[in-house]
Amino acid sequence: MANPFNLPMVGRSLRNLVSRPATRRYPSETRPHFAGTRGTIEFDLDTCVFCGLCVRRCPTLALTCSREDRFFAIEQLRCIACGVCVDACNKDSLHMSVDAPRVHLHTGAAPGAPRPGHQEWHQQQPAGSPPGPGDAAGGPAVAAI
Amino acid sequence: MKRTVVPMGPQHPVLPEPLVLDLVLEDEKVVDAIPTIGYIHRGLEALVERIEFGEFGYVVERICGICSFMHGMGYAVAMEKIMAVEVPERASWLRLIWAEMSRVHSHLLWLGLGADAFGFENLFMHCWRTREQVLDIFEKTTGGRIIFSVNKIGGVRRDIEDSELAAIVATLQELGAGFAETARIFETDPSIRHRLSGVGVLSREDAHAVDAVGPMARASGIALDTRLTGTHFYDRLDFEPVLETAGDCLARVVVRVREITQSIDLIRQAVERMPKGDGAPIDVKVRGNPTGETFERLEQPRGEVIYYIKANGTKNLERFRARTPTFANIPAMIKLVKGCDLADVPNIIMTIDPCISCTER
Repeated sequence: MANPFNLPMVGRSLRNLVSRPATRRYPSETRPHFAGTRGTIEFDLDTCVFCGLCVRRCPTLALTCSREDRFFAIEQLRCIACGVCVDACNKDSLHMSVDAPRVHLHTGAAPGAPRPGHQEWHQQQPAGSPPGPGDAAGGPAVAAI
Repeated sequence: MKRTVVPMGPQHPVLPEPLVLDLVLEDEKVVDAIPTIGYIHRGLEALVERIEFGEFGYVVERICGICSFMHGMGYAVAMEKIMAVEVPERASWLRLIWAEMSRVHSHLLWLGLGADAFGFENLFMHCWRTREQVLDIFEKTTGGRIIFSVNKIGGVRRDIEDSELAAIVATLQELGAGFAETARIFETDPSIRHRLSGVGVLSREDAHAVDAVGPMARASGIALDTRLTGTHFYDRLDFEPVLETAGDCLARVVVRVREITQSIDLIRQAVERMPKGDGAPIDVKVRGNPTGETFERLEQPRGEVIYYIKANGTKNLERFRARTPTFANIPAMIKLVKGCDLADVPNIIMTIDPCISCTER
């Protein structure tokens, strides 16, 4: 016969009644990130030389790059944020940030909208060279999440 | 007597992952159970043919979200063995510390899920609140909460400063002291004892016969722990495997509860015994392509995992294979389910700590 007064959880439960909750009121209150948190990949078009080192090192084939077309693209939903491309880049064109917009909040549901998490950049071709696909967009860079 | 087949899973409130058991019942008694897996097969092993061996370690981590560090470590250690790479001492110590922290967070996660399975949701919340502190340490030190990407062939990618290590030990010891109260609830609460004691008893002989591994074997009194082989610097630490002899669901819970305390103590010992000095090398450059084949064993939170790697001198491995602990424990689970009551099936399934993602890869 079990002892009916053996209730080891009761003290803890009573303390919980009067203590602060361990949870936050997410999403209005978010937890600050730590200094070493990796975050998501951000790309700097101005410094990139389209060498393709990061593309070769990416373990999930999330990066695409073309030197001829001056084109660079990231599939953020394919990226596993390991940071290998950031280590591989000689020009510091890639870095990781926790401030980037959250990929999962953008569904891209409209017809013809880019795939969720797809980001691409086109660099203006130097004068006299054949036009690349990015020139049609009319700007130096097209970024779409 | 008329037999009824009750399909359990792939979606079931008690299962965190999709496992299917076709339970053959006679009245309320289970007389047979036919398992089916394959709902979350991702073909990760086959990816070795497309991804170069250096980067494949980051993919291996994605086998599982709980033992992710151990998978990355096992792959890196196996590749270092093939390529005859001498890893810096500090990197090996850091790996050991992260591995034991993985055990703490895995067991806390499981204890919460186990408590939820036997209807103790309050306890589930307590375990997961404690686990959150371990995840914070992981995020501080590796940059990720679940997937760490710190292992690489030849060492680790991030160092932890000595002062930070001391702070981690202090945090973990404080966490362990707070967890002691939760541990006491698991071991002494009469409703838990009533629900788990004597349920799903795996005798020592049966555990041998079905090759149970990890806490499953240790709860049946078998001192089977890959850490006892002394590899990966465990020979430099003092510890005894946590053993229980009852072999029932309660014993498996108690083994995991005590292993949390043991792992915190192992981390303390590791920090005390590792050579001090910030800035010591944590990785070495690896050159060339691997040739040959190897096996590597590790003690994951759920038990022994075995990696097999075959390399042919190219940038892509020829074969990568992981035999995970859940795969080894499924025969034991089937043995326990046969003959039990239908209401005890969820508890028996949960106490093997099934990780179907690991098993299917």
